Amino acid sequence: MTTTTTPYTFARSKELFARAFDVIPSGIYGHQGPSEGCYIPQSAFPLFSSRAEGTRFWDVDGNEFIDYMCGYGPNVLGYNDPDVDAAAAAQRKLEDVVTIPSGVMVDFAELLVDTVASADWAFFAKNGGDATTLAVLTARAATRRKKIVFINGFYHGVAPWTQKLDYPGVLPEDVANNLYVDFNDLVALEALLSDHKGEVAGLIAQPYMHGNFVDNALPDAGYWQSVRRLCDEHGVVLIVDDVRAGFRLDLAGSDHHFGFTADLICFCKALANGYNVSALCGRADLKDTVSSLSYTGSYWMSAVPFAAGIATLTKLKQLDAPALFHRLGTELTTGLVSAGSEHGFTLVTSGAPALFYLRIADDDSLMLHQEWIAECVQRGVFFTSHHNHFLNAALTSADIARTVEVAHEAFGIVRARHPELG
Amino acid sequence: MITETDPRVTARINLDAVLATLPELVRLAPEAHAIALRDPRPTSIGFAVRGGPRSVLTFRDGMVEHRAGSAAATILLPFTSPAAFTKVIDGAAQPIPVTGLHRITFLLKVFAPLATLLGRYLKPSEADLADPAFREASTILTLHTATAAVAQVANHDVSGQFSAHLVPDGDVVLEVLGSVSYTLRVADHHFTFVPQATASPRAALTFADLDVAGRLLTGEASAMACICDGSMSMRGMLPMVDNVNRILDRVGQYLGE
Repeated sequence: MTTTTTPYTFARSKELFARAFDVIPSGIYGHQGPSEGCYIPQSAFPLFSSRAEGTRFWDVDGNEFIDYMCGYGPNVLGYNDPDVDAAAAAQRKLEDVVTIPSGVMVDFAELLVDTVASADWAFFAKNGGDATTLAVLTARAATRRKKIVFINGFYHGVAPWTQKLDYPGVLPEDVANNLYVDFNDLVALEALLSDHKGEVAGLIAQPYMHGNFVDNALPDAGYWQSVRRLCDEHGVVLIVDDVRAGFRLDLAGSDHHFGFTADLICFCKALANGYNVSALCGRADLKDTVSSLSYTGSYWMSAVPFAAGIATLTKLKQLDAPALFHRLGTELTTGLVSAGSEHGFTLVTSGAPALFYLRIADDDSLMLHQEWIAECVQRGVFFTSHHNHFLNAALTSADIARTVEVAHEAFGIVRARHPELG
Repeated sequence: MITETDPRVTARINLDAVLATLPELVRLAPEAHAIALRDPRPTSIGFAVRGGPRSVLTFRDGMVEHRAGSAAATILLPFTSPAAFTKVIDGAAQPIPVTGLHRITFLLKVFAPLATLLGRYLKPSEADLADPAFREASTILTLHTATAAVAQVANHDVSGQFSAHLVPDGDVVLEVLGSVSYTLRVADHHFTFVPQATASPRAALTFADLDVAGRLLTGEASAMACICDGSMSMRGMLPMVDNVNRILDRVGQYLGE
C-alpha cells in the first residue's frame, strides 16, 4: 500500500498558544496540554480545537482529526450527538441552575439505580474527582478508620489525597494514610490488610489496570472475587473508580462486567456525553453515611446535564454500546497490529478493546512509539503515546479503515527514518 | 512535598555535587585553571563527615578530580557532623586538617580561592551574568551541580527516594542542544551521575539552549511551562523524566538554602 498524506501544520495553534501562555498557567495546564498530554514533539500536535462532530474534531488551523481520545472519555456517543443535545436543549429551556433542584435529578438517579447493578442510590457532582473524594470520605465515615489502599499505577483525580508525597503542594499529612499494593497481587493485598488490621477504611481501584506508559492489565481469573472476600473479612469498603471505564465495558458497571459487587462506584466521563456531571453510586447501607457528610457544590444539581445523562444512558442501552465498542475496538486494533507488522514493527495492544492501549515493543524507551504517534497525529489520527484510548459510538468501519491507512503510512515513515532497525 | 531539608543530604550535595563540580570549573574557567596552577604539585584533600559522606579532591598540574567513597588523602579534613561540614561550606567556620599540615598553604592558596570562585559561578551576580562567557560557564556548572545533586537526593533524601522508586532502570540524559549532556544512570532505583552523554538513553530532557537551562535552574521558569512553550522537550520513558523533574525541584530546595 502506498499513500502519501501531507503532514498538518499548526500555525494558528501556535499563535493562540503564545497568547495563552501570557494569561494561563503553562498556556494549557493539565492532561490536555503539551506537557501532561505528552506531545512529543510538541510541534506535531494541535493545541486548540475549533469544532467537533461525531468522532472527529477540527483544530484552529482547520485540520481534521479522527479522535481516539474522545475528550479523554466524555465523548461516548459522538460529539454533538443529536439526541443528547436535544434533551439538553429542552431542559435548558425549562431551567438549569436554580435555587432548588429540578425534578429531573430524581429521574436520573432512578435511571442509574435501575442501570447500575451495585447502585441503590446516586449522588451527583461534577468531576470524577468529586466522586472519588466522596467515596473515600464515605468509607472513612462508615468505618471510623483512616487508611485507604491504592493499587500502584492508580489515578483517582487530583485532590491532595490522590497525589503523591513528592508532588508540589501536597503535604505528607495528605498522603500519610495511603497504602499501596500491586494490581493482581492478592498475596500482597492479604498481607497488607493483615498488617493494618482494623485500620483500613477502604480499597479504591479502577476495574482493571489502565495506568499510563505500561501495557494495561486485565484482572486475573478470580482476582476481584478474592478482593471482595478480603474486603468483607477485614470490614473494608470496596470502592470501584469507574470514571474512566464506566459504561464502555458494561452499562451495569465494570464491577458487574468482572463479576463482583462494589460497595461504592464512581462515574463521570461517559455519563452524559460531555455534559458536566459525575456520580457516586453505592449500596443501601452506606446511603445514610453519605447523608451525614458535608459535601456539596454550586453547580452539582444543574439540570441540563441530568437530562443529557438520561438521554445518553438511554441511547447507550439502545445501541448495546459495550458490545459495539468491543467490536470496533477489536477491528481497529487488529488492523493497527497488522499495519505495524507489515513494516516489521511489533505493536502491542492491551486493555479492553473499548479502551485500548498501544505500544510499539521494538524498543524499551517508547521513542519509536512516540515517533509513530506523532506521524499519525500529523496525518489526522489523534492518538496519544502514554494513555489508553477511548471509542465512541459514532466511529464507523470507514473511519477505522482510514485510521489503519494512516497508521500504515506512519509506520513506513518511522521505518525509513531508522535504517539501523534492519 | 516535604517542606524540611535533611542536613545529611545537604552535606552530600555540598560534597558530591557542589565540590564535585570543581573539576568542571577548572576545565571551563581560565581563571580557575590559573588558580589551580598556583601549586601544580599532586595534592589530595580528603573530606570525612561523621554520619555523612567521604570524598577526595585530587589536584595535579592545574586539573582536579573528584572521587566519592573514601577520604584517604594528603590533607584530611574531618568534620564532626553533616551540619559542621555545611557550616564550613557556608563560610561560617574554618576546616581544621589533621594530616598534611605541611601542605596547609595549599588550602589557602588553591582550594579556598577555587571554592570561592565556584560559589561565584553557581550564585552569580547580575553584573557577572552580563558577560556572555561567564553566563555560559555559570549555566553549565549549575547544570553539572544540579544533575549531580539529583543523584544525591534520589539516593538519600526521603522525598527523592520516593520519586526514585518510581523510576525504572536505564539512562536519563539531560542535554542542552549544541552544548553539554549529562547522564543519570538508574539501576534498581539507585542513581549514579555520569558527567557525559550516553549512547542509548531511555529518556531525555532537552533544553533548547543554555539560556533556557539557566532560567530553569535559577527558578526564573518552571519545567512545566518550558515544556509547554517548547523551550524544553522530553522523549522516551517519560516517568523517568517526570520523576527526575520532581527530584530537580527538591534539589532546588537544597541549593536554594
